[in-house]
Amino acid sequence: MPIYNGMLPAIDKAEVKRYAGLRHAEDFPQNYVDEACKEIQLLATPKGVYQEYDYDAKTKTILSNPPLKIEGSIIEKHLEKSTKVYVLGVTVGEDVEIRSEQLFKQGNYTVGLLLDAAATTAVEQVADQVNEVINTIAKKQGYKPTWRFSPGYGNWPLEIQPQLANIIKTELIGLQVTENYLLFPRKSVTAIIGLMPANEDLKTKRGCTSCSQQDCASRKLPEKATTNDQNKAEEDSSKTTADVSGIAMKGQPTE
Amino acid sequence: MYIFDGAMGTMLQAAGLEEGYCPELFNVERPEVVKNIHAQYLQHGSDIITTNTFGACGLKLEDYDLQDRVREINIAAVKVAKEAIAEVKPSARVAGSMGPTGRFLQPLGNMSFDDIYDTYREQADALIEGGADFIIIETIIDVQEMRAALLASLDAREAAGKTKEDVQIICQFSFSEDGRTITGTPPAVATAIVEAIGADIIGINCSLGPEQITPLIEEIASVTNLPISCQPNAGMPQLINKQTVFPLTAEEMGPLMLPIVDAGASYVGGCCGTTPAHIQSISDAVKAHTPKERAHIEPKTIITSRTRLLELGHNTKPLIIGERINPTGRKVLAQELRDGSFIRVKRDALDQVEAGADILDVNMGVAGMDQTPLMERAIFELSMLVETPLSIDTLDPAAMEVALKNYPGRALINSVNGEEESITQVMPLAKRYGAALLCLPISSGDLPEKAEDRVALAESIVNRAYGYGLQPHDLLLDPLVLTLASGEDSARQTLRTLQLYKEKFGFPTVMGLSNISFGMPQRPYLNGQFLTMALACGLTTPIMNPLNYPAKKAFVSSTTLLGWDPGSAQFIKEYGYEDESSAPGNSAPKGPEKKSFDSNDPLANIRACVEQGEKEAIVELVKKALADGMDPLDITKKGLSEAMNVVGDKFGSGKLFLPQVMLAAETMQAAFNTIKEIIPASESLDKGTVVVATVKGDIHDLGKNIVAALLENNGYKIVDLGKDVDPEVIVQAIKDNKAALVGICSLMTTTMPQIDNTVAAIRAAGLKTKIMVGGAVVSQDYADQAGADIYAKDGIAAVNHANDFFETLEK
Repeated sequence: MPIYNGMLPAIDKAEVKRYAGLRHAEDFPQNYVDEACKEIQLLATPKGVYQEYDYDAKTKTILSNPPLKIEGSIIEKHLEKSTKVYVLGVTVGEDVEIRSEQLFKQGNYTVGLLLDAAATTAVEQVADQVNEVINTIAKKQGYKPTWRFSPGYGNWPLEIQPQLANIIKTELIGLQVTENYLLFPRKSVTAIIGLMPANEDLKTKRGCTSCSQQDCASRKLPEKATTNDQNKAEEDSSKTTADVSGIAMKGQPTE
Repeated sequence: MYIFDGAMGTMLQAAGLEEGYCPELFNVERPEVVKNIHAQYLQHGSDIITTNTFGACGLKLEDYDLQDRVREINIAAVKVAKEAIAEVKPSARVAGSMGPTGRFLQPLGNMSFDDIYDTYREQADALIEGGADFIIIETIIDVQEMRAALLASLDAREAAGKTKEDVQIICQFSFSEDGRTITGTPPAVATAIVEAIGADIIGINCSLGPEQITPLIEEIASVTNLPISCQPNAGMPQLINKQTVFPLTAEEMGPLMLPIVDAGASYVGGCCGTTPAHIQSISDAVKAHTPKERAHIEPKTIITSRTRLLELGHNTKPLIIGERINPTGRKVLAQELRDGSFIRVKRDALDQVEAGADILDVNMGVAGMDQTPLMERAIFELSMLVETPLSIDTLDPAAMEVALKNYPGRALINSVNGEEESITQVMPLAKRYGAALLCLPISSGDLPEKAEDRVALAESIVNRAYGYGLQPHDLLLDPLVLTLASGEDSARQTLRTLQLYKEKFGFPTVMGLSNISFGMPQRPYLNGQFLTMALACGLTTPIMNPLNYPAKKAFVSSTTLLGWDPGSAQFIKEYGYEDESSAPGNSAPKGPEKKSFDSNDPLANIRACVEQGEKEAIVELVKKALADGMDPLDITKKGLSEAMNVVGDKFGSGKLFLPQVMLAAETMQAAFNTIKEIIPASESLDKGTVVVATVKGDIHDLGKNIVAALLENNGYKIVDLGKDVDPEVIVQAIKDNKAALVGICSLMTTTMPQIDNTVAAIRAAGLKTKIMVGGAVVSQDYADQAGADIYAKDGIAAVNHANDFFETLEK
C-alpha cells in the first residue's frame, strides 16, 4: 500500500474558526486561534495510506481481496460511473486528543475546544494532500476523479469501516476501527474516490448542500457549482473537499 | 538542438502489449517490437531515443515478480535501441530511462533514502553497462526521489570509470497545474537542488501540455545555465470509451514547441500521447526555427528547502539564521531530546519563523548522546513543518551526512574549518549532496586574531574547497567572533575581516553575535549594537535569535538604513507604534491596547469583563473589589454568575458562539481562583455533585468536557469518568459520590443504545438519581424512550437544567 503522510506547514485558520462554530462570531480574539493552530502543528503526526482497486459498478463491488460490496443509495450513485476507485485513510494521531483533554483539565477550555477544531482542519488538510496525489495519478491516465466520499456521508453506513480499513491496511498508519465502527485515533478519515471516464459527470451533490442538518454552525453556504461543472470546481478549490466532513450529519461523526 | 522521441507505452500497446503484462519484459521477449518503435522514431527525426526501461528498477519490477531480472532487462533495452540506431541513424544516441518508483521517501512516505538509491543504482549500473549515452531520470514528482536517483546515476557513472563526456545525466521533473511538483517543489527550487548535486541537463516531461509547460521552462532558465530538456504530453489525456485520447494532433504539437525552445530548451521531444508523427512535426518546426539566445545567468549563492529558494549575499537583503534549535546551554531542550521529544524543537522552529527567521540553524549536540539519530529525526520533523531552509550545524560527519541525505533541499552546512580532518570529511559531503558550505577561519588550535590572518586562512580553505569541485557560489565565510574580553580590538578585527572578505571574495558572510559580549553586562544591547556595525561592514546573514527584542530591532533598523526595506515599510510596521520616550533600542513593545472596564459599578465591570472573556483583566477587577471590601459571595453571585447567565442567553439566541462561551467560563474561573487566593476560607458555591461520562463504546469526549467545564464553573462538583465508560462504573460512581444528577452522552448513532443500557443499569441499581442525556445525535424523543429524566441540547441547556433541578431539590 502506498504511504503518503502529508505536511502541515500551515493550518487554515479560517477553517478552524468555521469548525469551531465561529463563522458568525465578531471580535473573537485571534490569539486563541493562533495558539490552537500552533499546538496542532506541534502535536500532529500526519499519516496517510491509499490503494487503487478496480470497481464494478454493476455489482457495486470494489474488486479488492476480499471483494467489498458498497451499499447505500448515495454512495452507489456517486460511484455509478466509476471503473476504478481509490480508498484512502489518514490520521493526525492521538497526541492531539490527549492534549485537548489536558487543556480542559487545566481550565484552558477555549484552546482545548479550538484545538479540536484545528485537529479536524489538519486531518482534512492531510486528506486533501493524499487526494491531490490520487487526482494527479488519475488525471495522468485520463480519468476524471470524483470528490471523496466517507462512510457516514449521506446514508453510507459506518458499518463499512472495518472492511474499508482492511483493504488499505490502515494499521500501517496506526489507524484502527473500534467495535462501534469509530475510527481511532479519533482525528482520522477514511474515504473513497471514484475514477470515471473523462466524458462522464457526477450527479451527486457534494459538501454541505447535501446535508440535512440545516442549522449546523459549520455549514457552508450553497456552492455555486452546478452538477455539470462540479469537477471543475473541485480542481479550482482544494478546500471544497473539506466541506463534507465539517458537518455534523444526523447520526454521523463530526470528525 | 536535439530531438528526443515520443511515447513508448502507447506504441507497445498498439503493438500487442496486453494489460497486466510488464512492458519492459518486451526488451527481452519481443525485442523486435521495441526495435521497430525505436526505428520509427529515428525515421521521424529523433536524435536521441529513450530505452523501454521507464519501470525497470527493482522496486517497480516487483509488481511483476521480475525484480531479479533488472540487469538483464535494462541491458537488453539498451542493446535493442543501439541495434535500431545502427540500422536507421548511426549518429543517434541512447538515453536510458528511469521513471519514478511509485513510492515516497521518509518522512513523507515509508521508503528510506538508501532503499530508493539502491534500486536506482542497480538500474543505472545496468544501463551504463549496456552502453547508454544518457541516463534520463524522468517524470519525477518528488525532489527527494530525484536526489536519490541522481546520486545513484552519478555513482554508477563513476564506478563504470566514465565521465560526463561519456554519459550525461538528465533530470526531468513533472509539475502539476499549479506549477509545482505534487510534493510542492517549484521549477527554480528543483533546478537549484539538482544542479548543485551535479545534473548535466535539467528539464520537464509529462503531466502538462506544451502551453502550460512554457512558463515553467522560463523559470528553469532564470536560475541555471545548464542545457534544458522538455518533453510535454500531447495535452492532457482523456479516457473515453476505454480509449485514452490526447487533444493535440501531430500538426498542432510542433509549432507549440517553439515557445519552449525560445524559453531555453535545447533537447525537445514528447511524452504521453506523442507518436512518430508528433516527433516529425516537432523536428520540422524546431529545425526551421532560430531560437532566441538564452540569457546568461550569473551564479548566485542559493539555498533551498523543498519549496522555497533563498538568495544570500551582498546584492540582496540580509537574512536571519535563527539560532534557537541548539541544546548547548539549554538544559530543558537537552533533556527533552534525551527523552526523545521534539515538541520544543518544533516550537522553536515555528516561533523563530514567526519572528522573522529566514533560515533555521539545527544543532543536536546533546552531551553523551549520538547525534546521528537525533539529527535524522530533527530533519524529518522540521522538513515537514516549516518551509524555511535549514542550516546543518554539527561537527560530526555521520550526523552531517544523515542530515544532508534526508533534507529535501539545498541546505547550508555550518561549518568547515581549516583543520585537515574537517576539510576531508565535510567538503566531500557538501559536494555530494549539493549543500552550500560555511567556512570558518580556524585551524588546529589557531584562532587568528588579526583580520589579515583570518583572510589568509579563509583563502586557503576556499582553495581546498575548489579542489573538491565546489564553486564560489557554494561558499560562505564566517569572520570569526572572539569575545571582547579577549582583547579590546576583537570586535574591530571581526568588522575588518567582514570588509576584507567582501573586497576579496564577495561571498555571503555568516556569523553568530553572542560571543562578542561574553561575560559582559547588557548583553542583548551590546549584541544589537555589534550587529548594526557588522551589517554595515558586510555581514549578510547573522546567526541570531529573532525572538530577542534588541537583536531583532537592530537587524530591522540596519536593513532599513542600508536600503533593503522599501519605504521603510517593515520598520514602520514592526516598530512604528512604539513609545519613543523610552530608552532607545531597549524598549519593549507596548502591545495592543487593553480594553478598559472603568465604570463606577465594580460589579458591572466584572460582568462586562466576563462577557468579553478578558482573562487577564478580571484578576485586577476582582482584587480591587475585594480590597474595597466587597463580599466574595456577592462577586460570585451578582457578578460572575450573572454574567454567565447573560452569556448563556446570548448563546441561546445565536449572538454568541461556543468558543466565546468557553472563554467567558475561563475568565470566570480566573476570577474564582483570585478570590480563593486572597481569601482562602471564602465560601465557594457548592450546588451539588454531578457525575458525567461518555457512554461505553464512544470515544468522543469534547462535548462532555464542555458540559463538565460549564457545570463546574456554575458551582457544581464534577466527577468526570471520561469516555467509553461502562454502565456499572457509572452506577458505582453515583453511589460513591451520592450524586443527585448524572450526565451521560453519546455522539454517535452506533453508540446511542448504550444510553438506554446505562439508564437501565442505574434504575436496576435502585438509584433515584436524575439522569440527564445529550450528544449530537440524541433528541428529546430519544431521551424519553430511553427513560432519561432530562434532555439537554447543549452545554448551556445542561447548566440551566441542572440549576432548575437543584433549586427544586433545595425546596
